[in-house]
Amino acid sequence: MDARQAILEKLKSAMRVESIKRPPKPVLSELSMNREQMVQRFGQELGGRTGVLYQAANPQAALRVLSDIIKAEGLKSFVATAQDICGVDIASLGEADGISVSFAKDFTDRETLREAAFKADAGITSADFAVAETGTLGVIFNHNHPRLLSIAPPVHIAIVDVKDLYPVYENVVETVFKNTNEMPSQFSFITGPSATSDIQGVEFKGMHGPKKVFVIMIMS
Amino acid sequence: MKVSLFIPCTVDIMMPEIGVDTNTLLSNLGVQTLYHKEQTCCGQPLFNAGYRDHAKRVAKHFIEVFGEDDCVVSPAGSCVCMVKYHYPELLENEPIWQKRALDLAGRIYELSQYIVDVLKVTNLGATFAGKVTYHESCHILRGLNISAQPKKLIAGVEGTQFVELESSTACCGFGGEFAVAYPEISEAMVREKAANFVKSGADVLLLCEPGCLLNISGYLHRNHTGKTALHLASFLAQNIKKV
Amino acid sequence: MHPHANKFMETARKELKNEQSQMFLLMVSLGAPILRQIGMSTFADIAAAEAYSRAIRADVITRLPELLEAFEKNAVSNGAKVLWAKDAAEANHIILDIANQRGVSYVMKGKSMITEEIGLNDHLIKNGVDVFETDLGEVITQNLKLHPFHLVGPAINVPPSEISEAFLKKGIIDEASTDPVKLGGGARKYLRDKFRNLQMGIVGVNMGVAETGTIINVENEGNIRLIKSSPKTLVAIMSLEKVVPNMADAVSMIRMLTRNCTGQKITSYVSMDSGPQKCDEQDGPEELFIIILDNGRSEIYSDLKTREILKCIRCGACLNTCPVYTKIGGYPYGATYCGPIGQTLTPMLAGMENTSDLYRACTLCGMCKQICPAGIDHPSLLLSYRARQIELKNQKGKKTMQSRGENAIAGLIALGMSHGWLWSLGINLTRPLMNSMAKDGYIGNIPMGAQGWFVCRDLRAIPKKTFHETWDDLPSRPESSGNTSKKEDS
Repeated sequence: MDARQAILEKLKSAMRVESIKRPPKPVLSELSMNREQMVQRFGQELGGRTGVLYQAANPQAALRVLSDIIKAEGLKSFVATAQDICGVDIASLGEADGISVSFAKDFTDRETLREAAFKADAGITSADFAVAETGTLGVIFNHNHPRLLSIAPPVHIAIVDVKDLYPVYENVVETVFKNTNEMPSQFSFITGPSATSDIQGVEFKGMHGPKKVFVIMIMS
Repeated sequence: MKVSLFIPCTVDIMMPEIGVDTNTLLSNLGVQTLYHKEQTCCGQPLFNAGYRDHAKRVAKHFIEVFGEDDCVVSPAGSCVCMVKYHYPELLENEPIWQKRALDLAGRIYELSQYIVDVLKVTNLGATFAGKVTYHESCHILRGLNISAQPKKLIAGVEGTQFVELESSTACCGFGGEFAVAYPEISEAMVREKAANFVKSGADVLLLCEPGCLLNISGYLHRNHTGKTALHLASFLAQNIKKV
Repeated sequence: MHPHANKFMETARKELKNEQSQMFLLMVSLGAPILRQIGMSTFADIAAAEAYSRAIRADVITRLPELLEAFEKNAVSNGAKVLWAKDAAEANHIILDIANQRGVSYVMKGKSMITEEIGLNDHLIKNGVDVFETDLGEVITQNLKLHPFHLVGPAINVPPSEISEAFLKKGIIDEASTDPVKLGGGARKYLRDKFRNLQMGIVGVNMGVAETGTIINVENEGNIRLIKSSPKTLVAIMSLEKVVPNMADAVSMIRMLTRNCTGQKITSYVSMDSGPQKCDEQDGPEELFIIILDNGRSEIYSDLKTREILKCIRCGACLNTCPVYTKIGGYPYGATYCGPIGQTLTPMLAGMENTSDLYRACTLCGMCKQICPAGIDHPSLLLSYRARQIELKNQKGKKTMQSRGENAIAGLIALGMSHGWLWSLGINLTRPLMNSMAKDGYIGNIPMGAQGWFVCRDLRAIPKKTFHETWDDLPSRPESSGNTSKKEDS
């Protein structure tokens, strides 16, 4: 008998008990937040994880914020999900001196993508959702959005539209997993930078993923 | 009001004064107490050690002795837990006995619970000028969900200052056989309990579980001379104003 | 897994004297519950949240076979290859085969208790496939050849100087350091090239979602996300109880898992994979293998009582509140799983015979049961193991001199306990013997028997009269003198 059959038969032959009725789902107080409260909560929670939230009035303002971050952090090379993220003209960054930007569409195979992603100073990506509850980004990975851009470089800059900001995870998960034929190969929640406390309980950021996370939220 | 006293073996043999004090407190409250001399032990040590058949025999004896009482009260939480929760489990394959066990389970109380919840009394007329603290014994707190009741009785003592005990809900390291079989681990636990008691600045450590008292007072006697742990019943009975 | 739980007390004694271990155990026992409480305080109703997560886990084990079949069906329709393994040997064989067929020289692993349980590293390395642990704690335990000290922080107690020494030897760092940040940075740098060139990765699974066939990993370091992104081949190994009905339940469980685990409201990363990469994606695995492992769990499931263990979500909250674990740390438990969950799980996986300390070294204080977000009643399980052990010992043909003797004593005690007069007789026979050893009203030690008691404490001399014997002398109630009720039954 193969393992599958043996295991399932053993489980099925065990004594059955009746399913217990579930108690009511715990109330999520976050659901009552308005947009302003959500933005505030998002920034506060992200900040608690050393991530930084910038609110930009429009894509032009977002581009200026992005340039400022790049200057302040001394970043030189980027991999980005697209030339245009939420209307922010990422391609224009490449025109500035000494800065190199490549885009998801430039990589047709795993090797070139890995090479670039592990070498870049920062990944600039879109985020499909933001969740106020914990200052969390929700990202659908696909051919327009490779997984490595937000995890391999030491800095992750995400641009998200305020219209995609929701109170709790449930709002997002319901949308992403609604149609089982159209689920992304991977969906991730990202909350602040990579972290560890494995030695002596001393916490530090950037264990294997980014040391720093910036979120630019476009408010228009 | 009639109450049948369940005086567990640790109290009967090692600390009979707790039984006397229990009787005094209840009598003072106008309760008629009765004591079945056929009672022995609830069988908890056997049950905890895994001797279920033997424990079952003891459980049946207990049910025979106490089965007809309207109300059974005991100054020991873990023994009440044994009767209330483990007897029905132990006798699950003997429906008639299990029914008797379940029936009895609804009529057995821990002492402070009985005084506060049933008699609705919190002031027993005791006075004590000093600082006390309280150890939340595992089976009293997590087994029977009793915490407010003893504290209310302490608050009812005139002149007493209650001070907090750090990690008051942590186990003292008794655990019956555990204290004998794993002495080094047990020591680490009771050492911490005693240290927190000393740190609290209280004159007396109060508790409602004879097992914990045996453990903590035994440790205090060897390591912290002059520091006292007392069963709440004894503390109250000793300090009741003599009329 | 290499259970050496028979050395429980030997190791425990060492750990009780190990200052480094004691310092971290103090930190864990004081800090972790506070962090957890802060995390839990975001719930409008904490008790409701706990009740709900417990109900989800109860539901899971009630419907386990159906949920597993649904999970398999949906994972397969997402394009994953689902394989089943009866035991450690089968799982190790499957994974080695996958590695060999693809000719990989090394694999990288995300933190996973299950691969520790089946001894995967040893098997792969023995067969020529190098294994790099990637979770910092596991990088340390792998290089120092240690068991996990804690479910969540497996090397939290290891002094930086020892880590530095091991890292230097392995070439993970170039110069000695006792700075945790530098040691961690060294590990990051050392593993980066390996992540970039990785051909095959192995991860555990926190949850497998039946309704969608999705596997979910919860982590902070990003090593798991790298392993799920970089290589062509990904193997996810899941013990069969990790399944949850649907995404909504998964989200509810994630909230409870992270709060109970590290006190975090959420970890840095929660990645949810539904099948391998789609054909036009540049990264993510081309092939995703999901191995569903039994390794004794279907047997655990076959018993209604032990089934409860399968509710566990491996958050580690029970360790942090256990008065025994927080005194002795993880090593005495001698296996992958330590603390209350190790005490309940290991005897089932490794057998009752050499693990009796695991189910006996417990005061039944109930802290674990109270905190468990999965609703496991650990004390009740341990009590049932004790009963099972006694039953096994007294089975026909298995009796030994010792078990006969122990059972006879227990029987004698039970006999005494079932007869009031015999009980009194026993006490009156024992009292003078005990009291002959008393000095100033206290007994400091006895020549034989329960000597463990006297290691750190005295015992009051046994009073001259039992309560039983005192009863008749008690004064009647003052306000109803002459009342006979007090003595009516004497």
